[in-house]
Amino acid sequence: MGYKDELVRSMEWLAAKDNTIFIGQSVKYSGNAIFNTLKTVSNDKKIEVPVSEELQMGLSTGLALEGYVPITCYPRFDFLILACNQLVNHLDKIDYMSKGMMKPRIIIRTSIGAKKPLDGGIQHTQDHTEAFRHLLTDINVVLLNEPNEIFPAFELAYEREDAQSTLIIEWGDYYNEK
Amino acid sequence: MKIPDYLNKVRQIKITKKDLITFEEEVKKYYEDAKIKAPVHLSKGNEKEIIEIFQYVHPGDWVFSSWRNHYHALLHDLDPELLMEDIIDGRSMSTNSIDPKFYSSSIVAGIIPIAVGAAYSLKMKKSERRVWCFIGDMTFETGIFYESYKYVKNFNLPLQFVVEDNDLSTNTPTAKTWGGIKREVPDDVIYYSYERGYPHHGTGNWVLF
Repeated sequence: MGYKDELVRSMEWLAAKDNTIFIGQSVKYSGNAIFNTLKTVSNDKKIEVPVSEELQMGLSTGLALEGYVPITCYPRFDFLILACNQLVNHLDKIDYMSKGMMKPRIIIRTSIGAKKPLDGGIQHTQDHTEAFRHLLTDINVVLLNEPNEIFPAFELAYEREDAQSTLIIEWGDYYNEK
Repeated sequence: MKIPDYLNKVRQIKITKKDLITFEEEVKKYYEDAKIKAPVHLSKGNEKEIIEIFQYVHPGDWVFSSWRNHYHALLHDLDPELLMEDIIDGRSMSTNSIDPKFYSSSIVAGIIPIAVGAAYSLKMKKSERRVWCFIGDMTFETGIFYESYKYVKNFNLPLQFVVEDNDLSTNTPTAKTWGGIKREVPDDVIYYSYERGYPHHGTGNWVLF
C-alpha cells in the first residue's frame, strides 16, 4: 500500500476503537491533506474545532484525562507551533507533575507541508522534527518516512503500555510520491 | 460575590477559615526553616469567599487551579498530610490528584483549555458532574480565556469559571497594565476581589537556604 493508503488504513483502525475521537480543523470539512485520510471515518467520531490551536491541544488533554484517546490533527507543522504551550508545558509534563497519576494518551498528527506541485512557502512547509525531539521529554516523536512505518506507528501510539502521547509527523509530499 | 442561580449547594464544608490559615502558617514555618527548596505561593484573605464557593463543588467534580492552590486543594478534600508532603517536596505550584480530580499548573491560563476538554468529556458522557476553573484577574484578561469562555458558553459545557481578583500578577497591577480597562464580568462567571495576605511567593521574610 502507498503512503496515503496506509494513513487511511491507520485512521480506520483507530476509528474502530470505542474511546478514540478525532479533533482538529478540517477533520469534518475539506481543506487539507489530512482530511483526505479521514473521509471514511464517521463524523460522529470527529470534533471540528475553530482556529484555536492552544485550545485544541488543551481540549485534547482534558478529554484524555477522562479516558478518551484523541487523535488531534494539525494540518501543518507550522500551525502546531501555536499549540506549544499546551504541548510542552502541560501534556509533556503532566505525568511528572502528577507523580504518574495522570497519563493522558494523545496521538498528535501533523504534516510537513508539501512543496510539489505547489510550494506552500516558508510558513507552510517547515520541518521542526529535530527541534521537537529536543523540546519534548515524555512525548514520543515519530517521523513517517516510509509507507510500511505508518500503521505500526499508530498501532504503538494507541497501545503502548506506558500510555505516553505520540507526535506523528507526515510528509505532505509523500501522499503522492510514495 | 454572586453565585449563579443554576448552581446548588452540594457539599457541607467542614474545613474552617482557621484551618485554612493554620495550614498556610505551617507551610510558612517549613519555608522559613528552609525545609522547602522551591517557591511557595500562599493564600490568605479569601477564606470566606472560597469556603462559600466550595459548598457548590461536588466531591466528584474536577477542580482546576493555579500555582496558588493550597486552599482549593484542601477544600476539594485532598489529604492535608499528603498535600503538605508534596509542598515540602517542592510541588506547591503543581498540586495534582486523580481522586479527587484536581489539576493545577504554574503556567498562567494554561489550565483553561484542559478544563474545557474535561468539561467536553463530561458532556459527552452525559455526566452530572461539573468542572470548576479557578483563575486570577490577569488570567481573566488573557486571549485564551476569551476563546475558551466563548467555546464553553456556545457549546453549553459544564464548566464554571471563578475569578479570584487581587489585581496583581506577581507584583504587576493587572488593571494598570491593561490601561485601566476592565470588562464587565459575565453573569455566569463567579467573581470576587480580595487583598492578598502574602507576597506573590514566599512569606515576606528573609530566608537563608
